[in-house]
Amino acid sequence: MIIPLLQGLKVTLKYLFAKKVTLQYPDEKPQLARRWRGRHVLKTHASGKIKCVACMLCATACPAECISIVAAAEPDNRKYPESYVLDMGRCIWCGHCVEVCPKEAIEMATAYELAEYTREDLIYDKEALLQSPQERYVVEKRKAG
Amino acid sequence: MVTIYVDNMPYQVREGQNLLVACLSLGFDIPHFCWHPALHSVGSCRLCAVKIFRDENDTRGRIFMSCMTPATEGVRISINDPEARHFRASVIEWLMLNHPHDCPVCDEGGECHLQDMTVMTGHVYRRTRKKKRTYSNQNLGPFINHEMNRCIQCYRCVRFYRDYAGGRDLDVFGVHSRVYFGRLEEGALENEFSGNLVEICPTGVFTDKTFKKRYTRKWDLQTAPSICVHCGLGCNTIAGERYGTLRRILNRYNGQVNGYFLCDRGRFGYDFLNSDRRVREPLAKTGQGSGSTALEPISADEALSRLVDIVQNSSRVIGIGSPRTPLEANFALRDLVGEENFSSGMAQAEQDLVSLIVHILREGPAPSASLRELESADAALILGEDLTNTAPMMALYLRQSVRRKPMAVVNELRIPGWLDAAVRGAVQGNKGPLFIAAPIAAGLDDVATETYHAAPDDIARLGFAVAHELDTQAPAVVDLPADRHALAVRIAAALREAERPVVVSGTSSMSPAVIQAAANVAWALHSRGRQVTLSFVAPECNSLGVALMEGRSLEDAIEMAERGQVDTVVTLENDLFARAPRDLVDRLRASCRNFVVIDHCLTGTAEVADLVLPAAAFAESQGTLVNNEGRAQRSYRVFPAPDPIGESRRWLSKAVMARARGRTEEWESFDDLVTRMRQALPVFQPVSNLAPSADARIVGRKIARQPHRCSGRTAMLANVSMREPPPPRDADSPLSFSMEGFQGISPPPLNPRYWAPGWNSAQSLNKFQEEIAGPLRGGDPGQRLIEPRDNGGREYFNAIPVAFSPSDDEWLILPSYHIFGSEELSALSPAIAERIPSAYVAIGEEDADLLGMSEGMLARVEIAGAAESLPARIVADLPRGVALLPKGLERLKGLAIPVRARIGKAVQAEKS
Ligand code: SF4
Ligand code: SF4
Ligand code: SF4
Ligand code: SF4
Ligand code: FES
Repeated sequence: MIIPLLQGLKVTLKYLFAKKVTLQYPDEKPQLARRWRGRHVLKTHASGKIKCVACMLCATACPAECISIVAAAEPDNRKYPESYVLDMGRCIWCGHCVEVCPKEAIEMATAYELAEYTREDLIYDKEALLQSPQERYVVEKRKAG
Repeated sequence: MVTIYVDNMPYQVREGQNLLVACLSLGFDIPHFCWHPALHSVGSCRLCAVKIFRDENDTRGRIFMSCMTPATEGVRISINDPEARHFRASVIEWLMLNHPHDCPVCDEGGECHLQDMTVMTGHVYRRTRKKKRTYSNQNLGPFINHEMNRCIQCYRCVRFYRDYAGGRDLDVFGVHSRVYFGRLEEGALENEFSGNLVEICPTGVFTDKTFKKRYTRKWDLQTAPSICVHCGLGCNTIAGERYGTLRRILNRYNGQVNGYFLCDRGRFGYDFLNSDRRVREPLAKTGQGSGSTALEPISADEALSRLVDIVQNSSRVIGIGSPRTPLEANFALRDLVGEENFSSGMAQAEQDLVSLIVHILREGPAPSASLRELESADAALILGEDLTNTAPMMALYLRQSVRRKPMAVVNELRIPGWLDAAVRGAVQGNKGPLFIAAPIAAGLDDVATETYHAAPDDIARLGFAVAHELDTQAPAVVDLPADRHALAVRIAAALREAERPVVVSGTSSMSPAVIQAAANVAWALHSRGRQVTLSFVAPECNSLGVALMEGRSLEDAIEMAERGQVDTVVTLENDLFARAPRDLVDRLRASCRNFVVIDHCLTGTAEVADLVLPAAAFAESQGTLVNNEGRAQRSYRVFPAPDPIGESRRWLSKAVMARARGRTEEWESFDDLVTRMRQALPVFQPVSNLAPSADARIVGRKIARQPHRCSGRTAMLANVSMREPPPPRDADSPLSFSMEGFQGISPPPLNPRYWAPGWNSAQSLNKFQEEIAGPLRGGDPGQRLIEPRDNGGREYFNAIPVAFSPSDDEWLILPSYHIFGSEELSALSPAIAERIPSAYVAIGEEDADLLGMSEGMLARVEIAGAAESLPARIVADLPRGVALLPKGLERLKGLAIPVRARIGKAVQAEKS
């Protein structure tokens, strides 16, 4: 009867002095794996031009149907998305969009602090998706600009 | 029937086909490129390889091209044989050597035959790192985009363009691995059927330029079965929409009507729907009563209350219908105003012609030919029509008909009809009989046996003479010049020899005598036991439909309005200024208190209205159109028009309810309206059998207008509202505005798109047909409303006109037609507008000498007191005393043609 009690106590004592795994988020930030599926980013070429050619494959692959693209072409026939809307509120973070992209134009970055007060604010447009992956997407900035 | 063995299973197939067609008809997938059901086999791509075995003991077999091998009794083939599969995959591999693989930016992607075939053969890996050859592209005009790098040298484009459609300006250049398909010089493709290259080309070399401007993947388009509204032939189309704009038109196969093709007017004319001439909100003259105030937008509620107010306080309302609007809307108007106050919206002259056509087709005995039947006619006589410009698809099929008779040689040589190159070699350019009598050279003249260019009266006289040659009972033409008599004898002889001759005529010469002459010829042939058909060109997409409603003519309605007691005129989708002289319409306008116009575009008529109600155009409304053959066909909504635009019949239904005066029954639904129409006008009895009614379901579901892969559903409207709105309801049809619903092979009248697993391109059509190039599974849609009575004795027409005699100071003005420009709606499409010629007056060479005029000189044309100066066009074979003005061109609208006019040199000062 006393033995199991002592065994339990042993576990308790062991963890009392072991290294803590609890992270004091948000004061402390976690180390993320490189393949972490965080917020999407649309990538650009070195020239600054958007890589996406508006092929619609990501929108088609998306099981949540939450990407909507309007295609356009530059005078030299180079295609680009005139508008690219991704509704993060509907996204299920499956990564299909990234996997299917033939141009490696969309990636999921490590940014994960995406909570907003309204669902409207979770709708990311092209401009928002073009922000650098580290930056937290600032709603006010979009609203102001 | 013969038995063939496919992978050791026996199948019964029709004799005389090739193995590819037989297997596709059986539902097998055999990859192919160069074979096309309308262009047949040339065996150039080598993709359709299958193994053929000598007998059941033969295990090795040999590879054959299935498209080049007849399906004979007992032939044993294997589609799945590993060697055949490997062969096909290597064909794709070598075709891919130079293919750019630019699917992500290619407009063909997602509906590409090359993609489908690549996946089907299983070729996946590029083993060479060699450079690909590249080409420069050409600007081929406003319709077609050119991207030559994608070409796989299947030769379908030139075979269609040159051999099938008679085009001259697209060709193949170069040798070896550097062949080039394009024009000698950059420039717009001239042929009227160039748009079909979009569907013919199995790759993305030729794509729709108008679609490119608002590009959307095929799988994202919301589509529905539609009917072309740009001429009287009623070709079946698939119209596609995304984000509330109509984006493109594709062919919808109908084995009785347009088959595999469309003309460029029909394919690219849709853009009027998105034009800035669209009426998008109700407009009204704000200062009540005073006619001069401008139209200003008002709210839908106010518009409705004004309409109700006007209708309730009017003792007599005249309704002017329209031959470019479906039956249902016209009937709703007729219902509102009463039978005696309903006008067909056609001018008297046009109405008489169309009614005459209806009369002839009803009286018989020669039945009306379906569009596709023209292809199999073995002799044709065209009286007074420039088909390429008035009924383009008819020209395309008659062009094929000239190959019918020389095919006798082919049969003698025992060459199968589908062996295209051999057939063309055997025929050696020989042509069957096709006679054209028209005022000027027409697009089909290059394949005609003989042509005769004359004034309509002389054309009619020739027709009457031919009829008399065929049957002496038919009235004779006195004092016909010897050469013309000889021509009549030759035509009669050729027609008499034929088994299935066709006589083509129509309204474009504006002459009843020409139509009567055509009827006489057909009846005379019938009396000689020929299986003759008649084919009349009707001016607009529902001309025959409104004619069957037997309304008043426009002039009649105007006169009635002027006699008084008419407070209100409601005009339905009709630009009266394009149909009647300006002063006549002005008189109508002046004679009524309220002038209401329901239309989708701001026409001249709408501009003078007190109240304009925004109407839904063809892809936004559901309705039935009756084509030139008398075939009623249903067109569905592709997308609901944005508020406050409403379907015409909805506006009218509200007005009817307001005016009820004790009438309680109403028609909220489309089917109710059709039922009422059938009761009131029994001729429309078959209209309710055209398609399943609105409550029909397939396995309990509506048919989805959007493909199952449609993307972005939850994000498309996110910028408007966070909440995904419920899809719009469609109470009028068994189709849903959603990707949810039945996605399989739907009944042909309701089928919204061609797609089958593994077949994303338009070629998936073969899964929808009973047999290749045959009727659709479930029957071709449409029902004929007009059939000839029994073969009772028919009195020949005997009002033979006197010969046309030119006078020295007056010219007979006739309309000339242009595929781009003569039809008002397509003319509003930017792409079509680029191809519209500028206004001119055409005169013959002799007349030009007489007037001392040369090409391009300004001529003064004086019609009934009003003068216009127009540049002259000298047309070599235009008969003396006849001049042509292009129909429908903005400056020349509403002229009551034919008319007599004075023509002279314009005074220099008038040059504008
Ligand atoms: S991660 Fe998945 S759900 Fe999210 S946008 Fe991409 S495909 Fe759609
Ligand atoms: S898959 Fe890639 S290239 Fe294609 S639309 Fe999406 S992000 Fe753009
Ligand atoms: S352009 Fe198209 S149709 Fe013509 S040969 Fe090339 S792939 Fe075939
Ligand atoms: S032939 Fe007439 S109905 Fe057919 S596509 Fe052309 S305009 Fe439309
Ligand atoms: S389809 Fe048979 S060889 Fe091209």
